[in-house]
Amino acid sequence: MNMLTFFDPASADLEAPDLEDVRSVTEDVWMALLGEDEALAPRAVPAGAPFDAAGAWSAAVTVTGGWQGVITIELDETVARTVTARMLDIPTVDEVHDGDAADAVGELVNMVGGSIKSLMPGPSTLSLPSVAAGRAAFASDVQEVCRVDVAWRGGPVRVCVHVPQGGPR
Amino acid sequence: MKILIADDSRVMRQIVIRTLRQAGHGGHDIVEAENGRQALEMVQSEAPDLVLSDWNMPEMNGIDCLSALRASGSNVAFGFVTSEGSEEMRQRAASAGAAFLIAKPFTPEAFDDALRTVI
Repeated sequence: MNMLTFFDPASADLEAPDLEDVRSVTEDVWMALLGEDEALAPRAVPAGAPFDAAGAWSAAVTVTGGWQGVITIELDETVARTVTARMLDIPTVDEVHDGDAADAVGELVNMVGGSIKSLMPGPSTLSLPSVAAGRAAFASDVQEVCRVDVAWRGGPVRVCVHVPQGGPR
Repeated sequence: MKILIADDSRVMRQIVIRTLRQAGHGGHDIVEAENGRQALEMVQSEAPDLVLSDWNMPEMNGIDCLSALRASGSNVAFGFVTSEGSEEMRQRAASAGAAFLIAKPFTPEAFDDALRTVI
């Protein structure tokens, strides 16, 4: 499980990225890596519902500076391994090792997070990605401000943006 | 032409190599580095004509690698391939001596346009 907490809420800015921007960034990254025919399908998920894949991979990057936030991506296990196979030209999903999946899922969140960072006030710094086999969990000092639930080939994918709880103190 | 690709992600190095091929630049010699420090050493040992570097990497990031190269007197052509394509980052890259910055996600056309400025 990817357990995420925050850093310095004292200078936090609660400004949130626009939901449609995050959706667009996610779709752009996905299609750039997998091809124009590999669109993500919208997926209706009740607010507050945890990521519902039976098995999952997750990754996160944090942005610090002019804007502070943490961007996470969660993928169904099969989606993560299939995406990895496609990105690395591995013939079958069975040949995807955990290290390959960690690398691929980390690069996904790096690209999504870097794009979101570019949309927010700066200057700011993007962290290296942290990746885990399992869904993401969030400490009580952050709050979700944006969530995109989509599906690829029937498997769920979620991108979330969290900011420090309560904003400036 | 020899191109040094510096990225801590093996996935991304592979995607950059594939995109170079799709952009019509598949005939170049490719060498790979996993971080900026290794790239710095390989510029000396491999004498590449072009460095394509990620920005955020462990050990040494791309901008520090470029600064160290320029401080050592190296004028090797250097371009960033990074998820951070804001104007601020582009200005920092240019000020440090980068020839271009390709933002991820990218297209073969973006690679071709950038490489034509240094080939």
